[in-house]
Amino acid sequence: MPLLQIRDLTKIIGRKTLVDHVSLEMEKGEIMGLLGPNGAGKTTTIRMIVGLVSKSEGQVIIDGIDTSQQFSAAMGKVGVIVEQPDLYKYLSGYDNLVLFSRMSPGVTADRLKEIISLVGLEQSISAKVSTYSLGMRQRLGLAVALMHKPSLLLLDEPTNGLDPAGIHELREHLKNLAHKENVGILISSHLMSEMEMMCDRVAVLQQGKLIGVHRLSELVQEDDTLVQFEVDRPELAVQVLQAFMSGAEITAGHNQLRVRLPKNRIPEISQKLLDSGISVYGVNTVKRTLEDKYLEITGGQGH
Amino acid sequence: MKLINYIRNENMKIYKRKRTWVLIALVAVFVILQIINVRAGDGGTAAADWRSQLEQENHRLAAEAAEPDALQIEIRQAEKNILLNEYSLQHNMPPETNAWSFAGDLSGNIIFAVSLISIIIAGEIAAAEFVSGTIKLLLTRSASRTEVYTAKYIAAILFGLGLTLVGLLLSLLFGGIMFGWGGLGDSYMYVKDHTVHQTPMLLSILGSYLFHLPFLLISVTLAFMVSAGFRSPIFAIVIPLFVSVAGFVIAIAMNGWPWTRFFIFSHADLSGYFLGDPAVKGMTLGFSLAFIGLHLAVMHLLSHTLFVKRDVS
Repeated sequence: MPLLQIRDLTKIIGRKTLVDHVSLEMEKGEIMGLLGPNGAGKTTTIRMIVGLVSKSEGQVIIDGIDTSQQFSAAMGKVGVIVEQPDLYKYLSGYDNLVLFSRMSPGVTADRLKEIISLVGLEQSISAKVSTYSLGMRQRLGLAVALMHKPSLLLLDEPTNGLDPAGIHELREHLKNLAHKENVGILISSHLMSEMEMMCDRVAVLQQGKLIGVHRLSELVQEDDTLVQFEVDRPELAVQVLQAFMSGAEITAGHNQLRVRLPKNRIPEISQKLLDSGISVYGVNTVKRTLEDKYLEITGGQGH
Repeated sequence: MKLINYIRNENMKIYKRKRTWVLIALVAVFVILQIINVRAGDGGTAAADWRSQLEQENHRLAAEAAEPDALQIEIRQAEKNILLNEYSLQHNMPPETNAWSFAGDLSGNIIFAVSLISIIIAGEIAAAEFVSGTIKLLLTRSASRTEVYTAKYIAAILFGLGLTLVGLLLSLLFGGIMFGWGGLGDSYMYVKDHTVHQTPMLLSILGSYLFHLPFLLISVTLAFMVSAGFRSPIFAIVIPLFVSVAGFVIAIAMNGWPWTRFFIFSHADLSGYFLGDPAVKGMTLGFSLAFIGLHLAVMHLLSHTLFVKRDVS
């Protein structure tokens, strides 16, 4: 049974369709990214899953429980961080934890201790949250989201406003949770490089529609690699290669040319160029990033 | 059980803020101001010439009640005071203020002040969470929106009731320090059907607080309604403050006019029923209670629906 099933999730406000029949499935231990430009419906989708925004249509099933029928039971399995971790600033970190522990069954004082040390807030837990840095608030937010041992963690733009160290820390936490504790994580972001480092799969949203779910390994590692040769006479080199490997798409630039080919053919091609009297100064493989692929999927519309 | 935990959470959010304690301290200031007021008047103890003072006061009251622009409530109040003064003169009982009579006489004022302070708490209790963003965490735990709504309302009402008790205890404490704690065994004198009646002091204190509670209930519920339904703490404090003060004033100024039976603030003080003069002649306690209940129900119907149905974005 999938951890999260979303069926035909739709949100219509007035004449605008913010989310349009989105269907998704997620497994335990998986990190899924929700990608898309601003206004694509990422936040609305996540808020519909957790009931902050009502569904115009569709169904959300978490660990086999329909959220429309048994909201409390379903929410007991979910941890949420929506944008900034908004906590009660006038209360201490510990009071915040106590407060939310009373709203989720089965969280003991021992569990609170455990979660405090997990997020590394032992030193400052009795200080008021108003004195915390954003990174510390993010950690406290994570403690609130994880104290009841949810099997699904939902994060909406969690890295907004975090410094690089904070982002790195959060990423390590999330990877640990998914791969060691088997928590499923759905994370929305418009930061491509972030998603690339974290996610197992990405779902791409555009104008409220789901336009594809891709395994990241498929996206960025393909059989053919784009190879760039640095040469002294690119025009001649193009002619040589065209004769040698007919049909290949070759692009030439200033003192360089690019061709897509399997990695194991690089030595052979280099030899051919050298044999034709062309000087080769460098050979690079150009890695396709998630961003390239994303732009390709969404038809080049910026984010 | 779950709901009790949610109410504890709301209480924690109320009482762990310094601002709340400033508001509570305001009640102490209010009681002290009332004591100064009594002191500045007759000093709280009977003077040697109390008989002539009472007689003078009766002349003044009679003259005031006879003025053409006197309000109905003023005329009735004057008549009652004259009767009470005459009773004191006949039975040779010098008028004295003690902790008990002070606390009883202050009940209406205390509940008025407590209500205005409670409006601030009730106006913020839901709306402030939308402003700070904490509502998102609150509504994505295992509590339903109705449970969160109910816990917040109960916490707001408990704050008002607690503050009323603080006001009563402080007026007994400060009143005792200033006027002494004697006189608990005395009877409380009041006028009903043009004759003077007596009732045990403690019962009269308890009753007068109880009869004024609808005002607290109405104003706190109004503030809570705007808070939970419309999510703006500023509106949820300013509008109920204005409506409550205006309602209080109008209910006194228009006392006795037939249309006021359909004016909610005319039902905010039920003591009239026990003193034999309801706000409108012929109106019954049952009607008042039903009318109050109807208003509370309509307010909750509106704000609960908005709180539960509206998206959080």
